[in-house]
Amino acid sequence: MNPSSSLPSLSSDVSLESSPPQGRGAAVEFRHVTVCYGSDRGGVTAAVNDLSLRVSPGEICVLVGPSGCGKTSTLRLVNRLLTPASGQVLIDNQDVASLDPVPLRRRIGYVIQQIGLFPHQTIAENVGTVPRLLKWPADRIRRRVDELLALIGLDPARVRDRYPAQLSGGERQRVGVARALAAEPPLLLMDEPFAAVDPIVRERLQDEFLRLQRALGPTVLFVTHDVDEAIKLATHVAVMRQGGRLAQYSPPAELLASPADEYVARFVGADRTLKRLTLITLGDLAWGPAPGDDGTQAAPMPAVSSAANARDALAAVLASPTREAMVVDGRGRCVGVVTLNMIAALLAAPAEAPQPPSGDPDGRGRLVRGGGAGAEGICDSE
Amino acid sequence: MDVGETETGVSTVLATLAWLADPIHWHGTDGIVTRLVEHLALSGTSLLIAGLLALPAGMYLGHTGHGAQLVINVLNVGRALPSLAILGFALPFSFWLGLGLGFWPTVMMLVPLGVPLILINSYVAIRSVDREVLDVAWGTGMRGWEVFREVELPLAVPIILGGVRNAAVTIVATATMGALVASGGLGRYIVDGLARQETGRLVTGALLVALLSIATEAAFDVLERVGVPPAVRAAHHLDTLRVPGVGAGG
Amino acid sequence: MTPNEPLLRWEWILDHADEIWQRLLEHVTLTVLAVGIGFALSFVAVVLIRRYHYLREPLTWLTGVLYTIPSLALFAVLVPVTGLTRVTAEIGLVSYTLLILIRSILDGLLSVPAEVRETAIGMGCTSGQLLWRVEIPLAVPVVIGGLRVATVTTIGLVTVTALIGQGGFGYFILLGMQRFFSTALIVGATLSILLAILADGLLVLAQHWTTPWTWERRRQA
Repeated sequence: MNPSSSLPSLSSDVSLESSPPQGRGAAVEFRHVTVCYGSDRGGVTAAVNDLSLRVSPGEICVLVGPSGCGKTSTLRLVNRLLTPASGQVLIDNQDVASLDPVPLRRRIGYVIQQIGLFPHQTIAENVGTVPRLLKWPADRIRRRVDELLALIGLDPARVRDRYPAQLSGGERQRVGVARALAAEPPLLLMDEPFAAVDPIVRERLQDEFLRLQRALGPTVLFVTHDVDEAIKLATHVAVMRQGGRLAQYSPPAELLASPADEYVARFVGADRTLKRLTLITLGDLAWGPAPGDDGTQAAPMPAVSSAANARDALAAVLASPTREAMVVDGRGRCVGVVTLNMIAALLAAPAEAPQPPSGDPDGRGRLVRGGGAGAEGICDSE
Repeated sequence: MDVGETETGVSTVLATLAWLADPIHWHGTDGIVTRLVEHLALSGTSLLIAGLLALPAGMYLGHTGHGAQLVINVLNVGRALPSLAILGFALPFSFWLGLGLGFWPTVMMLVPLGVPLILINSYVAIRSVDREVLDVAWGTGMRGWEVFREVELPLAVPIILGGVRNAAVTIVATATMGALVASGGLGRYIVDGLARQETGRLVTGALLVALLSIATEAAFDVLERVGVPPAVRAAHHLDTLRVPGVGAGG
Repeated sequence: MTPNEPLLRWEWILDHADEIWQRLLEHVTLTVLAVGIGFALSFVAVVLIRRYHYLREPLTWLTGVLYTIPSLALFAVLVPVTGLTRVTAEIGLVSYTLLILIRSILDGLLSVPAEVRETAIGMGCTSGQLLWRVEIPLAVPVVIGGLRVATVTTIGLVTVTALIGQGGFGYFILLGMQRFFSTALIVGATLSILLAILADGLLVLAQHWTTPWTWERRRQA
């Protein structure tokens, strides 16, 4: 069996220029995966303990948890930088253990926190690394590099011949993502890629990442310790606890509305109700009539954009003595009024899952309560 | 190796053993003991002078942070100077000073050999003290001299010792060259042996010098283990900071 | 010094211009051979160490011992065996380069940041590609640093080989010492120093030209 033929083939002429990518992502599955590591004291503990979850093509699965919970280890199982002691990791229903690691890794995009751009190569050479390893023709590589640089918001002419040391931290981070996407991988692994930049840059990077993922469609496994980032980016969130066990695996809205246990609730944060509001944009609401429609004088009130989320609207509303805020559209025209009561009503409603649940016939994917006492670890002690 | 060379090898060993076995060679003005003492005197004096010059300078520069470029330049220049050339210059200079042949020209050659090694290690040692620790020291109101004595110096000891060790080994090794200007020391066996074509003398000299160098290295190794508290030693990666010596051999 | 002997006899220098040139060639040849062979051996050693980690300790110990032995002693020991020949000189000279070069090449490879290595492997580089495309180019500055030390040291040691019949500029130094002839001494000493500075400078240039990514610090994006 030719291992590399199991993943979406690169020899097809599908390129970014032509088609919008439908179903270009790979499916990833973990089946009872356990990873052991030895400790100095001679015991053996589990970095990942009996993990089972499934990620559908094109989805973004965010692994989140405290340090030591095994999220990075889980990620590294996929491109075989780590080997499980037991269990299987499957990509498109193929056990990665049966595949040749080098071609496998060339088909998976990989971004780590420190980025790891090659300091001795230009940006263009860095981004073109995997296409070069795959022996693409030179002009195709060149076109692809320019395309990606433009996609991440950098001027190719200005940047392609620079060296990493000459770019800012945020720019380097973006180049790292571009490099991972260069060979049109169906799967992207990202390990705290935005952790090393300041919050403003991070927010921009997150928005850009979401935009890219929607445009290109790869499946993404994303690791972070920041719960807010997880909620913002994920199709599904996998909350892990110390010792490598899965605590909950569900879409963000559901995670916030119904945490599986005390640990998850604490991890998500006491303000999870407020966090739920960030998932709803004002556009979803029905707001009241604009002031002046019925001819009465309107009292001055703060304005909030119709594109903002409910939590920002709440902030605006609370700033007004009348607990009302004006909704304005993109051109600054007032299109309605939102009140405190409207927002409160949102919270009373049952949790809506803005994204459709992943098709999971076993019903395991949607809400998984992780093993507390239960499955015995493959590693000796626990 | 053909038969002739094997014979040479064997006969060399035999000649050396014969030379060593002769008790005359152990005592007297040309005896092994005397030569050893002379060698140590040469090395010790040079090391002392080099230390007196380089230690305060290096530590001071490290403490104030200035003069990094100066230190680097000294190191580079020191490396570029062939010892034989320095010896060559030292000879007429020594005469001019009225100090004659032998001991003092050799010391004049050895001191510039040791200074860069001690200088750079002293400098680096003080500089590499953790900035945070220093901040705390300044913050608790210590003055410059106190910070140096209480914080920088104790933490810097291992690296400084490393520098002194490099210098000591290099000086002991290179002191052999003093024999070219009629100094004492174990180098005399080599130079005399070459001149008189006495293989036994020649090889013995070489062996003794080599052993002495290794012994010096070992002695400092012990000194480091004994003299440096484990906690301080653990705070440094002694290996990586050890600067490869200037021409180790004379 | 001999009284009434001027410090520098220019006529002597002019008369012996030819010989000075010959000794220059000799000095350069001895140096280039020693550093070249030393580098080749060290490179092989490091590739082996990279493969068989247990070799590191013994090799470091061996080259360290060689380095500690004074050159005069080393040459002295070799003379009965290999005679007063260039080979003797080269054996000694090469041994002294080994410690510095092996350590520099190793340090150079180790200086590659861990995250660069991790991403290279994670993206699908083979072990060989990792070595040649990533580790070696990034190791160049440290390796050239080691080459500088080795070259300058060797140039100095070549002078000592005058004692066993080779010598380059050391020939003049020895001549000056033995005959109290200051001109020869100054010529020999000065030219060796100049040669060392020149070689060092050339290597610094070489390092600059092979590492274009170090040319400019970060500009405002």
